[in-house]
Amino acid sequence: MKFIILILIALICIFIGYIFSKKYKTRSNFFQALLYLCQKFDIEINYSRERLKNIFLNLDDKYKKDLKGIDGNYIAFIDKEVPLDKDSLFKNITFLKDSEKELIFSFFKTLGRSDVDSQSKEIKNFQSRFESIANNAQSENKKYGSLSIKLGIIAGLLIVVIFI
Amino acid sequence: MLEKILSDDLYNILANKVNLNFVCEIRLRADKPIVLLIGSQRTFLGRDGTTSNLREAIRASKVMIEDIIFRASECSIYSVNEQIKRGFIVTQGGIRLGIGGDIIEENKNIKTMTNFSSVNIRLPHEIKNCSLSAFNYLVEENKVYNTLVLSPPGAGKTTFLRDFILQLSEKNYAYNVLVLDERGELDIGRSGCLGNFADKICYARKSVGFENGIRALSPDIIVTDELGQLEDVEAVNYAINCGVTVLASVHCDNIDSFIKKPNFEKITDNKLFERYVLLSKRNGPGTLEGIYNENFSRVRL
Repeated sequence: MKFIILILIALICIFIGYIFSKKYKTRSNFFQALLYLCQKFDIEINYSRERLKNIFLNLDDKYKKDLKGIDGNYIAFIDKEVPLDKDSLFKNITFLKDSEKELIFSFFKTLGRSDVDSQSKEIKNFQSRFESIANNAQSENKKYGSLSIKLGIIAGLLIVVIFI
Repeated sequence: MLEKILSDDLYNILANKVNLNFVCEIRLRADKPIVLLIGSQRTFLGRDGTTSNLREAIRASKVMIEDIIFRASECSIYSVNEQIKRGFIVTQGGIRLGIGGDIIEENKNIKTMTNFSSVNIRLPHEIKNCSLSAFNYLVEENKVYNTLVLSPPGAGKTTFLRDFILQLSEKNYAYNVLVLDERGELDIGRSGCLGNFADKICYARKSVGFENGIRALSPDIIVTDELGQLEDVEAVNYAINCGVTVLASVHCDNIDSFIKKPNFEKITDNKLFERYVLLSKRNGPGTLEGIYNENFSRVRL
């Protein structure tokens, strides 16, 4: 019985480590997807004047997955199902800091509000700001992502050793 | 479509308290009461429907107007900037929004319009058979006359042309009809509203549309709305010289004012059009005032 409990505790520690690691990875992937979204907007708006909803609907599946539903939340606003506020835009998104939410919200608020030139400039401006966050998120992921799992494993083993 | 561009609040009032079938225009001006044009009557919009009392009227705000324009562009202003530069947006379904605001110019060209302060929402109405009373004067022995529809704004020119295209199809005149829809108003989006034999070129200038359309689609008849510029008249002349029949419309009050209009001398001098249909709002939009021949003699009424 004692062994089973210890194994359980060890697994929980590893799981907690995994959760932290996943959070770093999710953040990194999210900001990469956001950068891709900016590039896609810039291209589509400049060359085909494609409407926002179609751009969102035609995103690559990989990036769509990494955007964690923010695209769907914005489409819900386009379809008049929800207002454009932080609660609806960041529904089910928990891994962002408040300052990041603020920046991303400002980005979505400016979408579709001006002519091609101004829109393109706005997107490029936000893109450069997202780039620095994406770089940080990527290095955090490299640094702390694997570290979290390792710490989880070490903590689990330590507890097992101590109690044995 | 209207429910997609108006706020829920405003749409619910219009849908539940006003008969939208009779509303021709909804005018919103910043900080001013919302005005409806019903038939040829203007009235205010209140919380309980139409009202003549200014105090009960709902006032439009700038935010409300900007939101309507944003929604009408399907949340993508950049995608309709070319239309905005010309002062309007046409939504799917043919609702036309005339826009007032600040024009931004760059190198003597209009770059865009911002700071929107008013919007005039024109609702298209499909009035079936509205062209029937004129039909037999415009089509004789399998010949469709070059026809110009004249009327003041909002008197049913576009509705007349749309119905005429449909009537041709329903009466089995299998002409290839090319609809040059410069403002996207002729096709209201309902399946079959232009019959079975119509091709469309949308949002192109008339000079471009006529030339490309004749080359690419070999139409028998070209239908287009609102001639105004000299280049429009040149395009009509080019089409008629190519053997294509043209049906078009022009803003004007009566035959005399049409004859005096600048840019149209070529039409009158060369007798490009063989029939003129004059419409008015006297008994509501679409009132047929008369049909005239190329010499401006009445052939009906």
